[in-house]
Amino acid sequence: MKILLWFLALPALLLPAFALLYIVYQALPALDWSLFVGTQDTKLHFGANQALWQQISGSLLMMLLACALASPIAMSIALFHQLLAGPRQKLFIHALLQVLQGIPPIVYGLCGLVLLVHLLHWGISLAAGAVILAIIILPLLSSNTIHALERIPDEQTESALALGLTPFQLLIRVWLPNAWSSMLTGLLLSMARALSETAPILFTATVFSGVVWPDSIFSPVTSLQTHIFYLAQEGYNQHAIDVAWASAVVLLGLVLSFSLCAFFLRRFEDH
Amino acid sequence: MLKIIRFGYLIALFSIAALLWFLVVNTWPFWAEFGLSSLWLDEWFPYESLYGLLPALVGSAWVMMIAMFFALPCGLAAAIVGSELLSKPWQSTLRLSVEILAGIPSVVYGLIGLWILLPWLQNTFDLITGHSLLAAGLLLAMMILPTIMVMSLDALRFVPQEQREAAASLGLDWNTRLITVLLPQAWPGIRSGVLLALGRALGETMAVMLVVGSLDKMPSPIYNILEPAQTLTSRIGREMGEAAFGSMHFSALMANGLILAIISMLLSFMVLRQRKAAQR
Repeated sequence: MKILLWFLALPALLLPAFALLYIVYQALPALDWSLFVGTQDTKLHFGANQALWQQISGSLLMMLLACALASPIAMSIALFHQLLAGPRQKLFIHALLQVLQGIPPIVYGLCGLVLLVHLLHWGISLAAGAVILAIIILPLLSSNTIHALERIPDEQTESALALGLTPFQLLIRVWLPNAWSSMLTGLLLSMARALSETAPILFTATVFSGVVWPDSIFSPVTSLQTHIFYLAQEGYNQHAIDVAWASAVVLLGLVLSFSLCAFFLRRFEDH
Repeated sequence: MLKIIRFGYLIALFSIAALLWFLVVNTWPFWAEFGLSSLWLDEWFPYESLYGLLPALVGSAWVMMIAMFFALPCGLAAAIVGSELLSKPWQSTLRLSVEILAGIPSVVYGLIGLWILLPWLQNTFDLITGHSLLAAGLLLAMMILPTIMVMSLDALRFVPQEQREAAASLGLDWNTRLITVLLPQAWPGIRSGVLLALGRALGETMAVMLVVGSLDKMPSPIYNILEPAQTLTSRIGREMGEAAFGSMHFSALMANGLILAIISMLLSFMVLRQRKAAQR
């Protein structure tokens, strides 16, 4: 039985290391400085001579905007849950967040395409992408914030209230000093999520090339995720594929730096 | 302060409601024209106004089943090994590696699928291209593995230590303890992990889109998983860019999205009900 279990578990145990090594191995041919700053070699057409820092900055910009939009709303949902909601409303909030988290991101992408891109005439734009990503990370961010606030011992809140602190003082003096690290964990996880979503921004926010730095929030951007997707479909252009793998390594590095920070932060808290 | 909080909360509720309302309203022309009967028509050809949803539904069901078939035994076994057989330092290494696997973005999985999975399937099964339901299912199995593993690991860890000790002092051997004590106790947690993983498999777009082949026809015969096919998500992803806003085609794509949302909501409700039952 134990041997059978080890045998069944083997793929799961080896897969992460294998996948990481394989991605890095495939990316090695294209990973050098010219990848980031671009080359003048016109033979390497179809985006393979683009400077990757444009895509990186587009992705990061969209992620930061999405977090900036989602954080205050998530915070107010969490504070409503802690300060104002009755038991029934608490149940409702939990159920709502669970259901919203289950809805596939592409559905949010479709809704955003209709509402933001077409009906509000924002066009394919940074703003549309940021709002859609913000909606996608909102349930995750809110439930993590609620979780962080729930971990604060009730005695602390009660004694703070007994001392006559207003809700605002309670938040600033008691809750934030207590819970900032678990809130930060939640934020880091949402950032990783926002960076790795691809499908919902494919037709709402990004173009393949031609944007160095968006002029305004209503102009399209280039992003790392969609760059990989476009290049991956150029099956017969070896250089494009190399660049795709190299972009995958850069994206993976960014995502993992956020999610592993969150991982170690959480472990640090638990001890 | 409290007013601001209430205001923010209401804004959140309002925007969520508006979003879902737009989803429903924009599918309305499609339902009005074709009705529910399009759910079991098997021809999808937008240029001749044929909008049968069945092929994509069948495709989605197939990739979910294939993914679960591979990921459940593997992930569950890995969770048992991880919580019962490994020493402490190895357990945290396993946690870290699962975290890494969960962190790989779906488009990178798609790239892996294109470059490893498709050529391999092409050679093994002698296909024209490797694009098939099986490829999508295998790739999804990789992607839902972390979900199943993390949920099962947590469920097994929450089995009280006394139970293990009591079972051991009764003289039960390891296999019996696992099957009669540990697994039944951890089962609710494992089950919600399975439901969440199914939801993830249903909603995954990029990776599936790159390997499934996007061919709108029923697998023939229905258990033929080696042919290119289509899922709900890959159809939306492929055709969202080309459908003109306001056309019937667009409305039909929104209907696909609505079906996706409804199925995933049902899965979430099952998770919630289970959690409620577990709390009693």
